[in-house]
Amino acid sequence: MADHKAQGSGLVNMVDSVIAVITNDGRHIVGVLRGYDQATNLVLEDSHERVYSTKSGVDVVALGLYVIRGDNVAMVGEIDEETDASLDLQSIRAAPLKPIMHG
Amino acid sequence: MAEPEPMEEATVREPLDLIRLSLDERIYVKLRGEREIRGRLHAYDQHLNMILGDVEETMTTVEIDDETYEEIIKTQKRTIPFLFVRGDGVILISPPLRS
Amino acid sequence: MLFYSYFKTLVGKEVTVELKNDLAITGVLHSVDQYLNIKLTSTRVVDEAKYPHMMSVRNCFIRGSVVRYVHLPPGSVDVEILHDATRREAKGG
Repeated sequence: MADHKAQGSGLVNMVDSVIAVITNDGRHIVGVLRGYDQATNLVLEDSHERVYSTKSGVDVVALGLYVIRGDNVAMVGEIDEETDASLDLQSIRAAPLKPIMHG
Repeated sequence: MAEPEPMEEATVREPLDLIRLSLDERIYVKLRGEREIRGRLHAYDQHLNMILGDVEETMTTVEIDDETYEEIIKTQKRTIPFLFVRGDGVILISPPLRS
Repeated sequence: MLFYSYFKTLVGKEVTVELKNDLAITGVLHSVDQYLNIKLTSTRVVDEAKYPHMMSVRNCFIRGSVVRYVHLPPGSVDVEILHDATRREAKGG
């Protein structure tokens, strides 16, 4: 554990920051990271899902307070809020991310 | 590796011993998701995590023709100088053919 | 522990991590832990036209279990050291 902390390989630097979570089923959830544990279970506050489509802009769905089970977390990204605010979500066209294929 | 013992080195007692004998040899690896890899084995562990060099990866995709419903099999190849492969995707490893 | 130790030697180098959802992310390896969870800084998605999802992300944590490949920088792979470490690990069980 000491090694773990010293290296900062956990999510400690991201606590209280706005983060993007990619789940194993390909969803993209954005919110403020309030807590996490060794298993990558996450607590997200003021979260929303960004639903991507090739036909229309990004749909933002409010979710509120979420606990995401670590097994379903593929990636956690620290969001640069300035860059994020400058994104025009309505103009983005993209297929949803694929699920993590273990098979 | 203080004292290399040739006898012990060559003994095959368990499956992973065959992989040990393939170190620094070109091997074939079949992976999940219709992927195959050929490359030189530089490192592995008990999970079959590996590092391979001079890698050629072949990906096979099957598409269905909209009109004829025929299966169109496409392969894509790429080369990667050094690649870490996570062991949980490995289906099988084939050591080099020995004459 | 072999790969955990090896990845620690790559800290500060640029790698490309390919996930099992086909997303590939290039970045500077910041840290790795015993599960081979990976943290990257200065990240960019390899095919940003196809994957605009991560445009505002600069640093990320990738769960080890979703990694398919890590493309390694050729200059930092000493194959002799890897061979020796692998043989040692194979003996140790």
